Amino acid sequence: MGVAFVAHCLLNQNSKTAGGAYCAGVDSAMIDVLRAKGWRIEQMPCPELVFTGLNRFWAVREQYDTAAYRRHCRRLAANVAEMISVRVDQGEDVVLVGIEGSPSMGVRITSSDPDRKGRPRWPDGTDEHSSGEGIFIEELRLELQRRGINYPRVAGGTHALADHDQAAQRAALEATLDS
Amino acid sequence: MEPDERSFRIALTADRYVNPPSGGLDGLAVLAQAGWGVMHLPAEDYPAETVERVLAEIAEQVREFSNHGYEIVVVGESGKLADALADVGLPEPDHVMPASPAELREFLDSRPVPRALG
Repeated sequence: MGVAFVAHCLLNQNSKTAGGAYCAGVDSAMIDVLRAKGWRIEQMPCPELVFTGLNRFWAVREQYDTAAYRRHCRRLAANVAEMISVRVDQGEDVVLVGIEGSPSMGVRITSSDPDRKGRPRWPDGTDEHSSGEGIFIEELRLELQRRGINYPRVAGGTHALADHDQAAQRAALEATLDS
Repeated sequence: MEPDERSFRIALTADRYVNPPSGGLDGLAVLAQAGWGVMHLPAEDYPAETVERVLAEIAEQVREFSNHGYEIVVVGESGKLADALADVGLPEPDHVMPASPAELREFLDSRPVPRALG
């Protein structure tokens, strides 16, 4: 089949921001689909984990969009791009599986709110999700572009979205893998 | 910390247990079933410099988990992981080279309760 580069937390929910882990360790709902279809699994790093630590607050894209965080993401993205390059050179098909709604790992949906700052007291029911990529995914796309590697097909886990539906998530992942 | 579903247990896992060859031990399935998170150690067919850089990144992440009392083990061959962990001031965690799913599960079940939960 090919090689799926997956967001770190799909194999390790322990990396999530406090309160965000929705299962003990491996998100089998996503990983089992990939494995059942014969895709090799590769794990991307969690860029937020070592930058702001396990005790980080939930954040939106604007809070991470600093020169230092982008430099950090570029360093990590260079390694992932190097690994993708190896697999592409081996003739493998490659897909990226990110996390929709994440300020770092969103592939089509990130989170954005320029007004969020200071003491984190966010009202319930607000919706910061918006179209776009997270910062790490954006830096990875740029790094692949610099290396002349085609941007892979992408899919994303939708657990963080208000309209998350397990069957729809699975169908979207399978459609990406099969396209 | 706001409670959630995390296990506070992480296995640094060699590639052949995440992407097992035909007939190989599916360590990822056992770890998922047991509720452990997985950090995938880089496959041996990547260039040595790439592997070294990725191991350095993994060591930084492990340091963060270790500082917060997460239980960490190594499953399978770990290459130069010990060197990368030493660079961030950590010893190599306990290690298992399982030959069967039962052996891996027995090892996981024998681990102490994570300090974070103590």
